[in-house]
Amino acid sequence: MADFVEDLDSLFDYRRVQPITIPDDDDDDDDCHVKTPVPSPKKRKISKHTVEIVGGDREVSQATNDDEDWLLPPPKDSSESPKQIDEDSTIKELRLRKQELKAFTSKECLFQPKREGDSVQVALESGAEEPSKPHHERAKIVISIQDKDEVKQFRVYKDEKFERLFKRYADKAKLRIESLVFMFDGDKINLTATPDSLGMDDEDIIEVLAKKN
Amino acid sequence: MSGGGIARGRLAEERKSWRKNHPHGFVARPDNAPDGSLDLMVWKCIIPGKPGTDWEGGFFPLTLHFSEDYPSKPPKCKFPQGFFHPNVYPSGTVCLSILNEDYGWRPAITVKQILVGIQDLLDQPNPADPAQTDGYQLFVQDPTEYRRRVRQQSKLYPPTL
Repeated sequence: MADFVEDLDSLFDYRRVQPITIPDDDDDDDDCHVKTPVPSPKKRKISKHTVEIVGGDREVSQATNDDEDWLLPPPKDSSESPKQIDEDSTIKELRLRKQELKAFTSKECLFQPKREGDSVQVALESGAEEPSKPHHERAKIVISIQDKDEVKQFRVYKDEKFERLFKRYADKAKLRIESLVFMFDGDKINLTATPDSLGMDDEDIIEVLAKKN
Repeated sequence: MSGGGIARGRLAEERKSWRKNHPHGFVARPDNAPDGSLDLMVWKCIIPGKPGTDWEGGFFPLTLHFSEDYPSKPPKCKFPQGFFHPNVYPSGTVCLSILNEDYGWRPAITVKQILVGIQDLLDQPNPADPAQTDGYQLFVQDPTEYRRRVRQQSKLYPPTL
């Protein structure tokens, strides 16, 4: 039963990916520090410049509070009024919202934020990783097949039908699969059964007997 | 109850190791309880007759009954009632030194050793310790008839394919 739970887990993994694909292009926003919860060192520099150019008192003081890496003293003469900055940032915020909404509706959202190479890479990487993950997680198991003379071990997928393993075994032994009977725990194994469906563990023994005609 | 815990723990281990390693043709697994779960205290087993003996071709059903005192005490091992063998009681219970608490039993003896021991006993009865009249008398007095009866019984238990 525990094996089935594992299978379900990989499905949930896939769902978890989705939030990552939302592009993070806060960089063109003035009050980046306020809005972005985890600014990278790179981002800080960019926003620093932006703030300098705008030269808003309020913005600078906020940035100073938020960011300890801030080294430049705030410019003391403010030629522009804070109102303008507010307007500016509001427009940009709206623009950003619009982009975000677009991103939600478009599948190609991954490639939209050209300016922020980092976030695109992250999105691409996670996008490339996730689809391949189920393959890695398709659990394997070692099964021993025992006849009257010896034990041979095979590595198979836990959810793979026994038919394939038994054919491999018969081919190796140069016997017809129809002339063999495979037993687990005293019961004949159905060709459509899997290690999972029989609740098998690593190195469990399957007994093979020759049919008597 | 702590004794029962020890018995079940040991039996779970026995089960685990059996699944990974057991002699060819043998079966040993806990019985199904009425509710569908496994009853570790009762095991259904199959002992194949040794090739090259009159027991060959027979797959003999044996039930192991473990008590809460296992492994301090040995399990009771039973063939079907009326099983033909000098050292099997009419009830089917096997009489064997290693299965005797006061004689040859040691807690370290595994299920595998018990079953292989019983397979050996099939073809090598111990006339010094008879458990049934029929099998014992024929074995001692009429070897030809004894062997005929053994071969006949082997045919009664074909492999379950």
